[in-house]
Amino acid sequence: MTGVTVEQERAAAVPAGPGTTELSMREAVNRALHTVLGEDPTTLVFGEDVGRLGGVFRVTDGLQRAYGEDRVFDTPIAESGIIGVAVGLAMNGFRPIPELQFDGFCYPAVDQIVSQMARMHYRTRGTAAMPITVRLPSFGGIQAPEHHGESLEALFAHVPGLKVAAPSTPDDAYHLLLQSVRADDPVVYMEPKARYWERGPVALEENRATPIGSSRIARHGRHATLIAWGAMVQRCLQVAELAAEDGVELEVLDLRWLKPIDADGLVSSVARTRRAVVVHEAPLTAGLGAEVSALITERAFRDLAAPVQRVTGFDVCYPAGPSNRSTCPRSTASCSRCNGRWSSDDHGPTHLRTARPR
Amino acid sequence: MQTNEGPAAGAGLPALDDLAPDLSCAFYRDMLTARLLDTEAIALQRQGVFPAYVSLRGQEAAQVGSAAALDRERDFVFPTYREMAVALTLGVDMVGYLASHRALWHGGLYDPMASRFGAVNAVVGGPVPHAVGWAMGERLAGRRGCAISYFGDGASSEGDVHEAMNLAGVFHVPVVFFCQNNQWALSVPNERQIAGGSVAARAAGYGMPGTAVDGNDAAAVYRATREALERARSGGGPTLIEAVTYRVEPHSTSDDTTRYRKAAEERAWRERDPITRLRAAMRAAGHAGDGFFERAEREARATAEQVRDGVSAAPEPAGEDLFGYVYREPTGELARQRRVWQEEVLP
Amino acid sequence: MTMAQHTLELPDLGEGLIEATVLEWLVEPGAGVERNQPLVEVETTKSAVEIPSPCAGAVARLHAAEGDVVRVGEALVTFDVAQDAGIVGTVPAQERKPTRRVRLKPPEE
Repeated sequence: MTGVTVEQERAAAVPAGPGTTELSMREAVNRALHTVLGEDPTTLVFGEDVGRLGGVFRVTDGLQRAYGEDRVFDTPIAESGIIGVAVGLAMNGFRPIPELQFDGFCYPAVDQIVSQMARMHYRTRGTAAMPITVRLPSFGGIQAPEHHGESLEALFAHVPGLKVAAPSTPDDAYHLLLQSVRADDPVVYMEPKARYWERGPVALEENRATPIGSSRIARHGRHATLIAWGAMVQRCLQVAELAAEDGVELEVLDLRWLKPIDADGLVSSVARTRRAVVVHEAPLTAGLGAEVSALITERAFRDLAAPVQRVTGFDVCYPAGPSNRSTCPRSTASCSRCNGRWSSDDHGPTHLRTARPR
Repeated sequence: MQTNEGPAAGAGLPALDDLAPDLSCAFYRDMLTARLLDTEAIALQRQGVFPAYVSLRGQEAAQVGSAAALDRERDFVFPTYREMAVALTLGVDMVGYLASHRALWHGGLYDPMASRFGAVNAVVGGPVPHAVGWAMGERLAGRRGCAISYFGDGASSEGDVHEAMNLAGVFHVPVVFFCQNNQWALSVPNERQIAGGSVAARAAGYGMPGTAVDGNDAAAVYRATREALERARSGGGPTLIEAVTYRVEPHSTSDDTTRYRKAAEERAWRERDPITRLRAAMRAAGHAGDGFFERAEREARATAEQVRDGVSAAPEPAGEDLFGYVYREPTGELARQRRVWQEEVLP
Repeated sequence: MTMAQHTLELPDLGEGLIEATVLEWLVEPGAGVERNQPLVEVETTKSAVEIPSPCAGAVARLHAAEGDVVRVGEALVTFDVAQDAGIVGTVPAQERKPTRRVRLKPPEE
């Protein structure tokens, strides 16, 4: 899948700092699942290959051994059925955490997600809670076959009744998952599979009080705000690093929650930087970048020194492995040019993925 | 034009020998009340009170017979949108139920969780896996309830129904799949809907018992459902029941059956009317006489009229409810939009 | 018991229809009617249906002749009814003329 084995990842372990534990995002999600399975007997983890195998990304590794086959179990290959079963379990007092193995394979479940899970609370006038967290390994960058990398946040963010999260760091992966599972509304939890194996400090003991829908400033800057989520946050941080060499200080805002969106956070950052660039992997047209751009334009128009720009994938099908290098999102130059200000740093089609400090 | 002969829906009298007269009387009362309420509901649509209505006429035995077998304290019903007689049998607040057809609230205004009768659901096939999940939960919690999923011959073509049955077979959960095969999925007949000709036969592929039953025979439906529930409750896993019946009325009040089926077919099925057949069987078995039937008619009519007047006069839910139930934990953005609604739309 | 009049307007008979053609009147002026007694057969683009009376009373007036096209919301039958007769039926309200809430001003400059 990713070309990185569990052994390699473990070999790369670094000692934990004070108050934090160094974990990969995969491990962080796994620890969060341990936490919720341990604290709440109504939580259930199920999906394709999540039990004995521990999931195709090993995210659910060891959970079945720890909590038994009743609470962590494999299902047949039936994405719609998996979500449908989750709805029924929720109606019977459970707190299901189904996994849909790859984002590109969640389309068969979209009817259950949209027509049933997202609406049941509304349809029943609040009598049936739907505390379901759908874990959805998401986004591209792993050079996998077709449908193993998509970027579906706009699809789900558009649906009343859903909340959508997309963490970018192991620490957020841990805390946002706890929040999602403990929340009483359905959450589509989009894990950036390209980031599963990268490590970072996680404050496992900390009781995070940030509300659902809060963003995070991943890097402070004063000349423009790059807005991203999931795997693109790291890309934006790399861009900011490069820009800093030229004396351009970019702020990077990690949206984290794609519904609800932290409009106040966006406005407050843009009020400081006066320029905004939204970066996402998904195609341009009707992508979430349009929503973010509209929000900023509506609420912070007078603060803007330049139009909000979007740096996104092209309106093409998600490309096969090797060629996805050449598409979404594009070069540091794209990011730079789009404010019409720093065009001298144009190195041609240098892909963000390969961008590194020189 | 297609003609559907009901293979299992005969014209003979239901056998009542093993049923207590109380039970057949209860069947009769519920079936007749449902029939009269159904008739009132169609009229309410013509009178402009309901934007649309879906009649269950002809399916009263299938619905009442199966619902009567349920344990109202422990079991849970997952309906679609033509299960009015099931709701009635289970004691659901019928004004709240019909509120769905008055378009007051999509899922109706009754409490689905307290009623143990899920919200009216317009997606055919969609609620079927919910029944499997609910049943799975029942087993995990160590409780003894069963789920029953109502769906039709049309829904049997949906992928969700396959996924649900396969999941139920794999997990061996206490669920009854109750297919009312009313011969017509809107305008499409069985032979264009069900490859192989039998929904019940599909059960074999899921490793569960499947049975076709005369859906216009309340007693036969009751027995088949009771048996399936007993099996499920004692750990025997799921069952598929195909109740062969007939949708005597159009699919909905917006439909026109003359475009796709023959009047002779409708007449033939009207002659197998489940209420007429039950009444004749009850007389033959000595379960009831004129006095009971007259009283039942009077009471059913009073109930139907009371519900009719109730739903006609029911107040509309508050406009704020549009915003109040989207989330259990509302978002700031939705709160903002609610204020916009209050300021700009409400006045 | 005091008497009153109640007019049945043509409802939308099939999810978004705008009119219907009167095929046949099943009652005539002066006739007494029971609630749910068939009044008229009309044909829409979807089907032909009988409209049952929404009340008990007497037919005071038929507002259309056989063959006439009646638009949704237009009067169909007026009844003389007892003042306290339970009347049912709602018709999609005629779309109201938009009313102004704000005055606009062109952008300056």
